[in-house]
Amino acid sequence: MKPPLSRELQLLLRALSAPLDTDITTWERLLRLARMTALHGRLAAANRDNPTLPAPVRRHLLSAERVCAFNNQMLRAELTELAALCDGSFPVLVVKGGAYALQGQRFARGRFVSDVDLLVPRDHLRAMEQGLRAAGWVPAQLDPYDERYYRDWSHETPPMRFPGRFLEVDLHHAITPVTGSLCFDPAPLFDASVLLADSPFRVLSAEDQVLHACVHCFQDGDLALRVREVVDIDGLVRAAATQDGFWKRLLERAGQLGLQLPLWYGLHFAHAWMETPLAPGALDALPGPSTLSRSLMDRLVPLAMLPHDPDHPPPAPVRVARLAMLARYHLQRMPPSMLVPHLARKAALRLRGRFTRTPAQKTESQP
Amino acid sequence: MFDLGAARIAVRSPIESFHQQLDLVYRDYGEEDPAGFADVRVALLPGHPLRLWKRQIALWSEGSRPFEPYPVGSGLPLFEWGGNWLLAQRLNAYLLLHAGVLARNDRALILPAAPGSGKSTLTCALHLAGWRFLSDEFGVLDPDSGDLLPLLKPAALKNRSIGIIGQHPRARLGPVFPGTRKGDVAHFVPLRDSIADRHRPARPRLIIFPRFRDGAALCCTPIHTADAAMRLGLNSFNYRTLGTVGFDAVVRLARATRAFELEYGDLSAAIAHIDALFAEHA
Repeated sequence: MKPPLSRELQLLLRALSAPLDTDITTWERLLRLARMTALHGRLAAANRDNPTLPAPVRRHLLSAERVCAFNNQMLRAELTELAALCDGSFPVLVVKGGAYALQGQRFARGRFVSDVDLLVPRDHLRAMEQGLRAAGWVPAQLDPYDERYYRDWSHETPPMRFPGRFLEVDLHHAITPVTGSLCFDPAPLFDASVLLADSPFRVLSAEDQVLHACVHCFQDGDLALRVREVVDIDGLVRAAATQDGFWKRLLERAGQLGLQLPLWYGLHFAHAWMETPLAPGALDALPGPSTLSRSLMDRLVPLAMLPHDPDHPPPAPVRVARLAMLARYHLQRMPPSMLVPHLARKAALRLRGRFTRTPAQKTESQP
Repeated sequence: MFDLGAARIAVRSPIESFHQQLDLVYRDYGEEDPAGFADVRVALLPGHPLRLWKRQIALWSEGSRPFEPYPVGSGLPLFEWGGNWLLAQRLNAYLLLHAGVLARNDRALILPAAPGSGKSTLTCALHLAGWRFLSDEFGVLDPDSGDLLPLLKPAALKNRSIGIIGQHPRARLGPVFPGTRKGDVAHFVPLRDSIADRHRPARPRLIIFPRFRDGAALCCTPIHTADAAMRLGLNSFNYRTLGTVGFDAVVRLARATRAFELEYGDLSAAIAHIDALFAEHA
């Protein structure tokens, strides 16, 4: 069974890669769905030269294009500053949005980034972090508990930001949490990585980029409105599938790293929503989820990741699906013996915060 | 749905007190077909249903609630403030100045200013003295034509300004909301002629950076074009976001106008001085 998509969503996802000719009422709905899912930059990029756009729609897409251009400029500026810290003594990989931009990936046009993600070998994590601090980046202020959470249980350091600049830098030493069920030794990722031309940075190999996107896609909190992660998987697969032997290498690599299940889900939803072309038999060649897991995920993932009706608050099934995905995420991230105390502590802190902060202060902290 | 000129905003709500507030302030705008294109669509809905005490009102936009809820009786300030915030996110096709804009014979006077400098009071007072009202919060500059476009949000008057503007016989104000984040707030409704002209752009002619100071003698200083351009950028919501488009727009605007800084302690003296400056330079 393929999860069915509404006509509106089909139009939206198609309009991310090719110009769309439709009426202004439909356009308004698509603009709103795109903003909900942070896909409006891609919608603008794909419809830049579309002569059929009604004037107000053109204005909104131009607005999105400008915000996205600014975001991209901030990304490139941050990467230029970071490049100065790479002395070549250990590999520094740019992953996710930063990599797609530096590689000039087609699907990166109009893609927003929220931070710059770097991957370095664990042995050099401290050196890289100290290099950043010495050069003026400042780590986020965390309480000792959160600090320890990052250090011991996560696969990244607390986010760092250069004062006055827009994007945070996340330093990773792995692409999966060290306490999670998908945890694996990231050494092969560095071995297969590729040096970028005119840059001290490296990027993951094409296959590893797809696997990373799949792992990331289904490992990010409650997944609310995260359909853009599937859009990334589609873009990566389409770009890499032109290389000879890509599919064979991808399937082998998934087996080697133990990432067959995330890959199965990633390809499954990319194919269902984006009509991503898959090699014949690719999905069958992967040990997929059990029938029960699969039917649950087919129900819950679309509810959580796809946008709901923008006229209304999220309906109950959407909220339940997001909660279920959040529970799944936490269980994958750490065993229950660690998870229960962690969540209890977080809940207690939130409750305490509710009683010690006045509503007025809460409003002030809003953007 | 209301047509504000450069943008249209649609709102729905089941809350009766909010409807009454809207009717008072937006009566002269007329209502557009809600099925038409809206730049911003919001719903003002009751807060948590289990909250029986100190009920709240929440602004929803595209399935999320970007701000903390307000007390249930403060629907209008929430709508105005939230609507402004959403418009600022989406109107990056234009350079958005934080400025009051008025016009005479389609020649525009721009009053860019930081909060607390008396911009809204001066804008409303000039409007009541015969100037056409284009905007109080957003000075909308079209970078292609170089024209200013009206965006007729009601002006949010705070604290003492409410009495100063409210005493004018032609001034129409919405209800006073005491004790909001910014103190007491009441919304000034632009006069009908200006609302009718909300699709008529104006050419920029004169820029005045106003600064109200209690008891200050009137002091007007010319500002060099380059300084004016920089200060316009600083008084803009999206100058940085627009990159070179923003830079070109403020330079062109500064070159097309004369700019002054005006410190004043007496509103009517300031209006008389602005009238004279405008007659001389526009």
